[in-house]
Amino acid sequence: MSQTEARVPGFLAEVGFSRIIAVGLVVLTALTLQTTVLARLTLLGVIPQLVLVVVIALAWLEGEKVGVTAGFFGGLLLDLQLPPASIVGLTALVYTFVGYGVGYFRQYSVGESVWSPVLAVAVGSMVAEWGYAFLAILLGRAWVSLSFTAKVTGLVVLYDALLTPFIYPLVRRVSERFRPERVYR
Amino acid sequence: MQFRRTGRGRLLLLAFLVLSLVVITLDFRSGVDGPLETAKDISTTIVAPIQRGVTTVFRPVGNFFSSLGDLSTLRADNEELREQVTELSTQIEQAEAIQAENARLHEILDLDESYTTMDRVTATVIADIPNNYRWAVRIDRGSNDGIETDMAVVAPEGLVGKIISVQPDSSIVLLLIDPGAAAHSRIKEKGFVGTVRGNGADQTLSMIGIHPEANVKEGDEVVTAGYDLAIFPPSIPVGEVVSAVGEGADVEQDIEVEPWVDFNSLDFVQVLLESGPRLETEPQKDRGGNR
Repeated sequence: MSQTEARVPGFLAEVGFSRIIAVGLVVLTALTLQTTVLARLTLLGVIPQLVLVVVIALAWLEGEKVGVTAGFFGGLLLDLQLPPASIVGLTALVYTFVGYGVGYFRQYSVGESVWSPVLAVAVGSMVAEWGYAFLAILLGRAWVSLSFTAKVTGLVVLYDALLTPFIYPLVRRVSERFRPERVYR
Repeated sequence: MQFRRTGRGRLLLLAFLVLSLVVITLDFRSGVDGPLETAKDISTTIVAPIQRGVTTVFRPVGNFFSSLGDLSTLRADNEELREQVTELSTQIEQAEAIQAENARLHEILDLDESYTTMDRVTATVIADIPNNYRWAVRIDRGSNDGIETDMAVVAPEGLVGKIISVQPDSSIVLLLIDPGAAAHSRIKEKGFVGTVRGNGADQTLSMIGIHPEANVKEGDEVVTAGYDLAIFPPSIPVGEVVSAVGEGADVEQDIEVEPWVDFNSLDFVQVLLESGPRLETEPQKDRGGNR
């Protein structure tokens, strides 16, 4: 794997082509599930944000560079699924920020507790939901009340955190399979 | 774990934040044919077939699991359903005759066409909008099937919403429960008209603009009002009034309407091909921003 990739110049060489494809497929799968199966398995009417869970898991495992990239593209793909008169780019902005934040703060996590990714997802989801609502209000597209946002945020944080023990090991398996040896370890 | 730190992360963050802001600005400034619409079309073309596949595979599985408990009653159900089929076939024949007569009378009287006789396309819901602040679904029919923006979408129980975006093989239905959706409606028995607005999932609809003298009561039925201002054909069932506060006062009542359609489990919908705006339409878009 690394034999061929070592000859590809620049960014591609550092990240690894197959890794980009693998991460892309993971995000796309999450998007598909979030819009189909999970959109029907709501918790009191709230859809879990699986793409965000995957972005945070990737950021936690791979650091801020992968986190920020997955966050931007994952968020943008979600934005492109929204009906007209939503703000395209807003989810991308928020997820970019969260991807970086999680990647940055993981270095302060001590040891390898099972709970740290769950905590990262919970905090990340809360920041993402409030960030989205806050920016939507700033941009004059407040669809719903603050109390509704509070309810949605609480439920999304709970649902995302519940999904993490199932999603995180899957993402870790993909991530370890495609991690180029010359960057880590 | 040990991580190598470089300055690249912060640079990437900056780059993607700027890129997001560029996208948001583009979205705010461009019209219907901007580069973002092209991006939407491309992403839809890629994602929609996958969504269709996943839905086709998983929905029957879900149904299978939920129906496992019913195995014992299958035979009895089958018998009963057969009887119903015979009975309903007779009824359909009668209904068709009545419909034909109705259409002829409509023509003679030069009435607006009733929604029940309109040409329609049945579509499968293939995806939901992955966001907790908008309520819309993607269906598997588009402009290739004659669907256009602003057409009315119904289910057997009543009004579902309207088409807000069309691609060749799929389109997006804005659900009536979306806070940006509105339907010009009428209290069925009393004839007073107003506007029904969405409040999000699992919330009742609000009906505003009703005359104080209407004296709306719990249990009153609400149907669409027709063409003078709105895009929906008349008399599509919307829901039932579940709360009407302030009856008899001189000010507008605070009316809540429970929709008849179950928006949490939409599987099939019908697009009325002959519906759409007769006159310039009202509010839907002003809450939606610049478009």
